[in-house]
Amino acid sequence: MLLILLVFLFVNINAQSTDPNEIVRAVLNKFSQVRDYEVDIDIKVDVEFLKVPDARAKLYFKQPDKVKLKSEGFALLPKDGIDFSPSSIIKGNYTAIFERREIIGEFPTSVIKIVPINENTSVILNTVWIDDKSNIIRKVETTTKTQGTYTIELFYDNEFKYPLPKQMIFSFNVDKMNLPQTFTNTTPKSNRKKFKDGPILGKVYVNYSNFKVNKNLSDTIFENDKE
Amino acid sequence: MLDLIRIELYKIFKKWRTYIGFIALGVLIPLIHIAMVLEGQSTINFMTRNIQESFVFVGNLLNTYLISYIILTSLAVHIPFLITLVAGDLLAGEATAGTYRLLITRPISRTRLIMSKFIAGLIYTNLLILWLAFLSLIVGYFIFGSGELLIIDGQMIIIFERNDVLWRFILAYGFATLGMTAVASLAFLFSSLVENSIGPIISTMAIIIVFLILSAIQVDFFQDLKPYLFTTHIMSWRLFFENPLDLKEIFNSASNLIIHIIVFFGLTLFIFNRKDILT
Amino acid sequence: MNEQIKVIEIENLNKSFKNLVAVDDLSLTVYKGDVFGFLGPNGAGKSTTIRMLLTLIKPDSGSIKIFGKDLQKERLDILKNVGSIVEKPDFYGYLSAYKNLEILGRISGINVNKNLIMKNLELVGLASRYKSKVKTFSHGMKQRLGIAQALLHNPELIILDEPTTGLDPMGMKEIRDLIIQLSKEFKKTIFLSSHLLNEVEMVANRMIIINKGKTKVEGEVKELLNKNKLSVAFEVENGELTFSVIKDSRWIVFMKSHINNNFEFNLDSKEIPLLNKYLVENGVMINSIIPKRSLEEYFLSITNEASNA
Repeated sequence: MLLILLVFLFVNINAQSTDPNEIVRAVLNKFSQVRDYEVDIDIKVDVEFLKVPDARAKLYFKQPDKVKLKSEGFALLPKDGIDFSPSSIIKGNYTAIFERREIIGEFPTSVIKIVPINENTSVILNTVWIDDKSNIIRKVETTTKTQGTYTIELFYDNEFKYPLPKQMIFSFNVDKMNLPQTFTNTTPKSNRKKFKDGPILGKVYVNYSNFKVNKNLSDTIFENDKE
Repeated sequence: MLDLIRIELYKIFKKWRTYIGFIALGVLIPLIHIAMVLEGQSTINFMTRNIQESFVFVGNLLNTYLISYIILTSLAVHIPFLITLVAGDLLAGEATAGTYRLLITRPISRTRLIMSKFIAGLIYTNLLILWLAFLSLIVGYFIFGSGELLIIDGQMIIIFERNDVLWRFILAYGFATLGMTAVASLAFLFSSLVENSIGPIISTMAIIIVFLILSAIQVDFFQDLKPYLFTTHIMSWRLFFENPLDLKEIFNSASNLIIHIIVFFGLTLFIFNRKDILT
Repeated sequence: MNEQIKVIEIENLNKSFKNLVAVDDLSLTVYKGDVFGFLGPNGAGKSTTIRMLLTLIKPDSGSIKIFGKDLQKERLDILKNVGSIVEKPDFYGYLSAYKNLEILGRISGINVNKNLIMKNLELVGLASRYKSKVKTFSHGMKQRLGIAQALLHNPELIILDEPTTGLDPMGMKEIRDLIIQLSKEFKKTIFLSSHLLNEVEMVANRMIIINKGKTKVEGEVKELLNKNKLSVAFEVENGELTFSVIKDSRWIVFMKSHINNNFEFNLDSKEIPLLNKYLVENGVMINSIIPKRSLEEYFLSITNEASNA
């Protein structure tokens, strides 16, 4: 295990590979050291039609793709932003295409397009910005069949030994929602806000803190309960 | 004066009709609670249908706050019926019973008599809203617990933190009381005009219904009229479920209601002080 | 008698409802200690007047003074000292007799206690039913409770609007006795409206008769109903002869009417035999002499007129 890790570190430092599959595999391999984790998250939602208080919650993850959001109060996360693990972004059969190199912030990255081969998936295309020095994903742009395009940006704490982020920014475009008109507020305001037509940009900021990694989380945590 | 109010309250609470409102709420709200126990989750799902497509959320949205909000929304139109039942009877009931003659031949001014009755009516209105608040918020708490309040406001979904809700409800109930006071004042005015209590109850409800219908007609003329109708502002308790509060709008609605109350009550005073008691 | 204190002074009182003139330039005075009979047929304007006395109705014009004070200006002061029953006795049916009195006493601003309430209920014979809701009371019981509430705050002036209406003869007598007791024992001034002359005659010392809102007769009951002042109907055989006999005599001034063989005279009872003797001596054959009290007859005529209208 340690050996494998060392080998990969060696490879990453020395080879500036442009083989997309290699780069992707390196990321997946690095992430595989995280078997599970539990983390405190702070969620800030910045969506025009969705006024939600800043929330505090706990997020649980277990390989390969189990996630669970738990909170005493109300907490909401974008479905597509709840699980940022490379293993869930890059899964099934796919074709990886190296696109270009690009610097995000101060970090040089390889931009790789990942096209799922499986027709059943709703994802048409994932574009992944991989920091191939640290073997972490810094950005993902996903185009879906039904949900439009969304972007996940990930920020890391350099000191942290696991490839887990300290912050995620989830950006998306949504069409104006048609809300059910029952129990709707109809105050006599003449100046009630009307949204302009067309898609609306929304952002969700998630801060991660207090990671507890590889504590052998029980599967029961991920079972659906009524909480 | 205090003694007069006490006497009026005693009379109000010795009448069977006074309890109709309390009983109605006491039956209706538990029914809503039962319905919510059974169907609440699907109501939530219905309300959050759209955000469920894109979001995962956790938390107890089916809580006493949401249910109290739904109750207040649904009943705000019907509580005036219960209010007028008593307020419309305050003066006309004395006319029907022939007890005007006992009251007005006593050494008290008509103004004081009217004021004590009006205040007693206000106390009844307050108690009814308190009862509503108790049944929805407090009884609801023991069934559904607390939580964040989900509101659909026009095209927006607003979720209030659980610690940010109670004060809104307190103010909303306060505002609802103000609205109901306007209804009570109107019923009281009609009550001073006629000799039976059915008339004021029916006329008050008729006015409320007509105003509500006018407000609903999407014609410019009626829409221009809408901000001046007191019925429009009865529902303004909802302004407290906005973030941030629209203080100007709240002030507008409150002033409108207060002006209506003053005018209705002033007219009652004016009319009753000149009224020949023939019953 | 002239230096008596005036309790009620009504001057030129008027009240109309739409086209109906209810009270027409009415003036009257009630003195302290009076049992004042306010007499008139139904619809004569009695209730309207009483309602004006009690500020239930505002007069169109004219003035009312009670205890020498202007009713408009010192209403509260005056009403503290007035007890009343207006028309039928209505109470809060859903409350007990006791509670009704308690509430009314408190509104009058007096210190109500159990003693006072029970004392008044005893006076009208309702003490045993003090807990019963008034809606279970008979008309007579309500009438008596009405008197109890009128007396509750120990007023100087008691205004009773037809207090015996709807009562059986026993009940009527009880109320009359009570009125006499209130006057004699408790020295109350009583303003009693009635449409029954004999009732007023039995209890009142002074009276007024109104009809169509106007004063018709006013004065001491004894004087007005003095048995010596009679309207006497003579039915004779020969009217012409009779008239010629009377025409030049001193009796002509007493003659009220003359239709064929029927004559009417206003006479003192002592004068009936004198007129009788005079007519007989002058050859008049008399079939009958019927003395009638003129006031009664008059009252009967306006009552009939009112009930036929």
